[in-house]
Amino acid sequence: MDFEPKIVAFVCNWCTYAGADLAGTSRTKYATNVSIIRFPCTGRIDFMLLMKAFENGADGIIVSGCHPNDCHYTSGNFHARRRWIVFRSLLDFMGFDTDRITFSWVSAAEGTKWAGLVDETTEKIREKGPFTEFKKLDYSILEKIENDVVTE
Amino acid sequence: MTSLQNKVTELFENGTINLLIGFKEAIHKLPVPCFIDNVSQVEQLIFTPSCKGNLSVYLHKTEVKQAKKVGILANTATLRAIVQLVSENQLGDIEKTVITLNTNGELVVFATMDELEAYVQANFPELSEEDKKLLDQLNAMSRTERWQYWTEQFSACVKCYACRAVCPMCYCSSCTVEGNQPQWIKVSSETTGNLEWHTMRAMHLGGRCINCGECGRICPVGIPVHMLTVKMNQDIEAEFGAKTGFSVKNGYALNSFKPGDKEQFIK
Amino acid sequence: MEIKNIKSTNIPAFFDQMIKSGKVVIAPVLKKSGKVFFEAVQSYDQVSTDYIQTGFSAKSVVFPKVEELFSFKKDDEGIEITNNLHTIPETVVWGLRPCDASAFNYLTEFFLKENPDTYFTARKEKTTLIAISCAKADNACFCTSVELNPGSTSGSDILLTAMGESVYIELITEKGKAAVETAASLFTPGEEKSKEEFLAKVTSVFSMDEVKVRIKTAYDSAEWKHASMGCFGCGACAFACPTCTCFDIQDEGTQDSGKRLRCWDACGFGLFTKHTSGHNPRTNQTERRRQRLMHKFKYSVENLGIVSCVGCGRCIRNCPAHLNIFENILSVTK
Repeated sequence: MDFEPKIVAFVCNWCTYAGADLAGTSRTKYATNVSIIRFPCTGRIDFMLLMKAFENGADGIIVSGCHPNDCHYTSGNFHARRRWIVFRSLLDFMGFDTDRITFSWVSAAEGTKWAGLVDETTEKIREKGPFTEFKKLDYSILEKIENDVVTE
Repeated sequence: MTSLQNKVTELFENGTINLLIGFKEAIHKLPVPCFIDNVSQVEQLIFTPSCKGNLSVYLHKTEVKQAKKVGILANTATLRAIVQLVSENQLGDIEKTVITLNTNGELVVFATMDELEAYVQANFPELSEEDKKLLDQLNAMSRTERWQYWTEQFSACVKCYACRAVCPMCYCSSCTVEGNQPQWIKVSSETTGNLEWHTMRAMHLGGRCINCGECGRICPVGIPVHMLTVKMNQDIEAEFGAKTGFSVKNGYALNSFKPGDKEQFIK
Repeated sequence: MEIKNIKSTNIPAFFDQMIKSGKVVIAPVLKKSGKVFFEAVQSYDQVSTDYIQTGFSAKSVVFPKVEELFSFKKDDEGIEITNNLHTIPETVVWGLRPCDASAFNYLTEFFLKENPDTYFTARKEKTTLIAISCAKADNACFCTSVELNPGSTSGSDILLTAMGESVYIELITEKGKAAVETAASLFTPGEEKSKEEFLAKVTSVFSMDEVKVRIKTAYDSAEWKHASMGCFGCGACAFACPTCTCFDIQDEGTQDSGKRLRCWDACGFGLFTKHTSGHNPRTNQTERRRQRLMHKFKYSVENLGIVSCVGCGRCIRNCPAHLNIFENILSVTK
């Protein structure tokens, strides 16, 4: 079976989720590999959620919210940005493949950008292949993932 | 009696302190923390360069908080920890009397937080040679080599949580690992969960850790866990200009922001 | 007891022969951190010979840090429950110290006395303990205080004592005899002699008989506070300890598949006794550490008739605060 990447997108309610909605209502075609999880704000996207997504079988992750200065809560994305900067650097220091997490700003008007972002990320992860480097750390996760593939 | 013992006796007698957190020599010759509540026990006190432990972690103990007037023997790391804890409003009611040895081996007793802060700033240490070497080694590795290195280290972790227990900045009354609704970190020890635990620990300490290195020093399986926060602190200082344990007016870099914060990776 | 000798130059051949015969051999290995830990090895070259004590004990061979009790899978056809009991291999533990080996006596009592534990039994049956007596000791060692010594044979299947060019071998059990059969030609018959001059000198710090009596009234001693205030409440001592057997049963997985695990736990953790209501009967660290020490020297004597401290000194070497168990036992039984 060909490898189909599992992408999980963590997006904020006010900008990127609306942007994805716009892509949908505009009938823009984009990769179906993405599962979107909606958050009140990027400020709420805790790093542990990303870790849990990988633990549960994600091959790639998209994190996206309002552009700087556009946050619905004024500063949530600024706080998030600081945390992403250090989190990404920490992961890299631990040798974690940070290319598997794509960070982006997508506004409610950028349906096309969203579709492009998902397509691009899916292609990138498809090239990289499944995230076995992480999954093989725990045999039971690998087993769970294989079961998933079979049941699908 | 040594000058330290004289000083402490004096502090007890004039009522400045009613509890002293210090070191004594254990039967196997290593310095062990001791809690002195009256003059008769002062004779056991020692304070030598081998007293590497960071006693500030005991300032969170209920028994210590209840004592109110607390003296503490502090090495340079402990001083930084106290500055950081004050900046995080953690030492509320405690009237602290902090005693340290300066670089000439002389006893210094700080009357005020300002004095302590000034001393810390004048004697702010560089990263130790050993840590610098390890950091350079890790930075020079390729990403996959680093992954190999850390996953091998983490696979040995038994989740004894000694790294958390000795950390003066880990003062939460209930830790994320203790919650099970949801279970963020598995109770069982296996590499993925261990990796998550150490990532989480580093993320919660980055920008607050005072680089005392205790967590790495005491790890029973020898994981250099302190390198994670050392690295994070370096990033935070470089990116946001914040230095931990430096000033009592330190903000927490990760709950503030500047609109002009720079990064290259957000598309 | 049967005695044999082997030339020390033949030890690697004996060791590798056991591996060739298909056994999993766990031996002390020097890790990057500079500490020595038990690990499965492929050849004698990997084995460390220069160590006083391994970082953690050998208890993980019969009581792993995580034991999968069973796993389940649910699908349209029903629920399938499996366990790993049949996959436990024949195992040899090489190079554990006599104190560690004697800890297996306590472990056996604990796990088998009332409700025999299937997993422990299965592992214990397949495990052969080849201990090496101590030629060196440090100031954390106190085996002689708990009525053992650097050459005790208690608990081991085989005890090796290096005596210059040759190694003196005591075959204590049938399992031990069977183990040397795998390379019988390397051994020559020997006769019993004193090991004394080849053993480390460990000074006794207290009399066990006195401690056993005095600890009965030590519960309310004011000394506990001085002895334990410095305790940080981590699990470093309990996890390294050869006789600490506390565990925590955990279920992991989803409604469709998962497993039940037995994980190490420690009475020093605040969470250990915390009730669902939020109430914690052991309110502070002093009480928690008292529990650990009283269990070793009093409760386990009452319950199983064995002092469950073997004097290996790991809790002393591993303690972040350098707390010393025998110093504390001395002070509370003064």
